[in-house]
Amino acid sequence: MSEPSYRFLWFDGESLSLEEVPGARRFGADPRPFATSEPVRGAWAHVCALPDDTARVPYDEPEVQGARAAALAWWIPLLGDSLVCLTTLSLDSVGYGGAITVARDPDRFRADPFARIFPGTLVRTDLFGEVAAPPGPVIERYAGAPWPAGSFARS
Amino acid sequence: MVAGAIELSVGRSFPDLDLPDHTGRPRRLSEVAGGDPVALVFFRGPWCPKEQRYLRELVRIQEEFEVAYARPVAVSIDPPAVQTAFRAGLGARFVFLSDAERRWLPRLGLLESSDTVHLPYRPTVFTLHPDLTVHAIYRGDWYWGRATMEELRRDMRAISGAVREGWEDGS
Repeated sequence: MSEPSYRFLWFDGESLSLEEVPGARRFGADPRPFATSEPVRGAWAHVCALPDDTARVPYDEPEVQGARAAALAWWIPLLGDSLVCLTTLSLDSVGYGGAITVARDPDRFRADPFARIFPGTLVRTDLFGEVAAPPGPVIERYAGAPWPAGSFARS
Repeated sequence: MVAGAIELSVGRSFPDLDLPDHTGRPRRLSEVAGGDPVALVFFRGPWCPKEQRYLRELVRIQEEFEVAYARPVAVSIDPPAVQTAFRAGLGARFVFLSDAERRWLPRLGLLESSDTVHLPYRPTVFTLHPDLTVHAIYRGDWYWGRATMEELRRDMRAISGAVREGWEDGS
């Protein structure tokens, strides 16, 4: 049985929650950061998403592909050991709603390539555990999972 | 085959290398493969003009790998910081693995014995199934022995055809 390829997450423009929050927008995120028993306390999330339902673009738009490629090329190396995890945010099978990069130090967030698509909001969080950075070079999604989650490997 | 080395031949399983990547993070080859076909490229180092040329070729087709669920992986004896600089200069977006301590080089029997200065890897390309079974081996001591980009495409097609459900009927 394969693991679920996403986990719902709610964002109201200021804070993140794994429980539904009235008025907050729901996104699908990589489930792996939430599967760990030891989330990183006091981490910083750069949430490049908006609570407005109209803020969406197709996942396969060149600018979204470009941000994923930039993440592999230099964003992950730039963050170094500070990186906790990153995930794009899916809205449905085709819709991209944003991305979250989580780090121990927010100093580099001004360079976040995902902020080219939707502006970033800095959020202090205890929700995310550390997940190995995606090795690349695959930027396509696996069966609709929010990149970099998913795989075609049989589990 | 080098005495005492692991036998690397078509149909056998390639060792699940445990090495730091270009950022210094510990990785396993199976993790880097992530369930996808792999083009595993051992290269001498950034100082070699043949390697510069060959890796530029690989970068040219990385956009195909990016969208086709397959993964190039480059391995050398350079420290992660050197690999990061080389990778950035190339514009590569795939993983480099660092065997700076030469933990795997002798076990794989891939020492370039003619280079007694750098003691690097012999240029060798393996194409691997997602479970790391060797599909093909290309010995690249002489530049023309390396896998061409067409051969990599051919191998990725053959491996994908063997492991992807619905390949034949398109489902």
